[in-house]
Amino acid sequence: MTAATLRRVGLGGITGNPIAFAVVLAIMAVLLAVPLAHNGYVEIIFRNILMYAAMSYGWNLIGGYTGYVSFGNVVFFGLGAYCSALLGAHGVNNLFADVAVACVVNAAFAALVGLPVLRLRGHYFGIATLGIALAVADIVANLDAFGGTGGLALKQVDQAHFSLYYYAMWLVALGAMLATYAIARSKLGYAFVAIRENEEAAAVLGIAATRYKVTAWAISAAFAGAAGAVFAPANGFLDPSIAFSIDSNVFPIVMAILGGIGTVAGPFIGALLLAGLNEILQRTFLKIHTLFFGAIIVLVVLLLPRGLVWLFGLRGGARTWLKSLAGYRA
Amino acid sequence: MSGVLAIDGIGMRFGGLWALTDVSFEVEPGSVVGLIGPNGSGKTTLMNVISGVYKPTTGEVRYAGTRIADVPTHRVCRLGIARTFQVVKPFANLTVRENVAVGAMYGREGTRRSTRASFERADELLEVVALTRVAGRAASDLTIPDRKRLEVAKALALDPEILLLDEVMAGLNATEVDEALELLRTVNARGVTLIVVEHLMKAIVSISTTIVVLAEGKKIAQGAPSDVLASPLVIEAYLGSRWVKRQEQLALIASEREEALRVQPPEAHA
Repeated sequence: MTAATLRRVGLGGITGNPIAFAVVLAIMAVLLAVPLAHNGYVEIIFRNILMYAAMSYGWNLIGGYTGYVSFGNVVFFGLGAYCSALLGAHGVNNLFADVAVACVVNAAFAALVGLPVLRLRGHYFGIATLGIALAVADIVANLDAFGGTGGLALKQVDQAHFSLYYYAMWLVALGAMLATYAIARSKLGYAFVAIRENEEAAAVLGIAATRYKVTAWAISAAFAGAAGAVFAPANGFLDPSIAFSIDSNVFPIVMAILGGIGTVAGPFIGALLLAGLNEILQRTFLKIHTLFFGAIIVLVVLLLPRGLVWLFGLRGGARTWLKSLAGYRA
Repeated sequence: MSGVLAIDGIGMRFGGLWALTDVSFEVEPGSVVGLIGPNGSGKTTLMNVISGVYKPTTGEVRYAGTRIADVPTHRVCRLGIARTFQVVKPFANLTVRENVAVGAMYGREGTRRSTRASFERADELLEVVALTRVAGRAASDLTIPDRKRLEVAKALALDPEILLLDEVMAGLNATEVDEALELLRTVNARGVTLIVVEHLMKAIVSISTTIVVLAEGKKIAQGAPSDVLASPLVIEAYLGSRWVKRQEQLALIASEREEALRVQPPEAHA
């Protein structure tokens, strides 16, 4: 078996390894039981895992499937959160409405911004998205309607229905996951991957690259927006530093890479492990936990460049793995 | 809607260099046009102009009344023009089958095909190019000849009327060249017009109905293979004087052999 074959082992086609996906669905089913533990703190940890998973699925569509690495997807999370907060401030307190509005607003915003920005390639696209993230955060911080830097206090969370937000976030994560699965298997998914693999060759095969890139980013934005829309009322307070935090920008990317980009199971596995790890490290080494965090990310990228999902399809144990490392080319 | 592909006064300038100057010829439906010329004579540039990747500096390419330059790259295949790349461009992380299916999904008939129908079409085409045995492998695993076959299958998946083949036989050994020629004959027999860029003289002579010769960006000859190869201009520009000498030697050897056979009748060997 050549190195090239080894690299391919376990990728399991356009949706990634099916066993990994089955495992993820099973874990999702188990996670439904978390609120039954009646522990608010644990519930919030898992709600955040689901939130990051949904955002990571969003990033995975544009960064993983389409190959356009965005450093600005936090914008969509933040705007989604503000959609929800502003609707609440105007008397609309309906999570379904919040999520629906956030999805539509974000998809439209992504399409609008994407039309010029997605003509850029590689690093230039990444830098442009980072610029957008910073600009939008600054604009929001200076708008009185958005509460400015002082933020917006949302309607007090009803303690009796606290778990409602957990279930809503669970649905958003599941929706993002299943939508990714359906998209990956459809013609749309193949257009995304073709663009990632070779944009010029994709165009010659009849794929209107810009249109599909914008589509990928719009769907990606809807996922992040939905997560934000549930997060805002659950959190009870929103200001630009929360809505557009660095963590919310970086975590979903690292999670997708850790789990396996361009797979359906990857973002969830990444979110579960990374958010869990972060929690443990923060408790154990409060002041220097990010140091360990960084070291772990470096190790994973070096040792598991294809992400954890890859391990599900690994046959032949450590030897195969070592061989594949030797043969891996980015 | 198949019609004549008209290449009309094409000039292509890169900075101060004219890669093509005033190249004109027509391609009849169903024909096989061989495009030859020394390295750097503008063959690949012309392929890029015809397939709409480059907009020509002067002149225009028309197919069935449409100016190719007016059509975005991703729409050229909808017109019925498909191409392969000299440097093959497979989607490395997709399987061979998926590579071809993408073409079937977005090509000329793509909008009418479901995902499943696209995969069925891909299976048919893999049969045609003899890649069924590696259908499930990653495209990055293929050998060079198989990558060339994949490139042809991807282009065929677009259901083209005209197929531009840019050096699909380069780097193949003699047996592989024969197989490739067989494949191209099969494709042409299905009604696809071929424009073939190739360095291998033997291959191009055996398959082409017309040959166009480029040298330094200009068309220096056009016609039936035997006529073109006999043209002194072509021999000088492309084949060189050594080739002529060799042909003369070969002819001499052949006539001597004939002579020898005449002196000793075949019965003498029995």
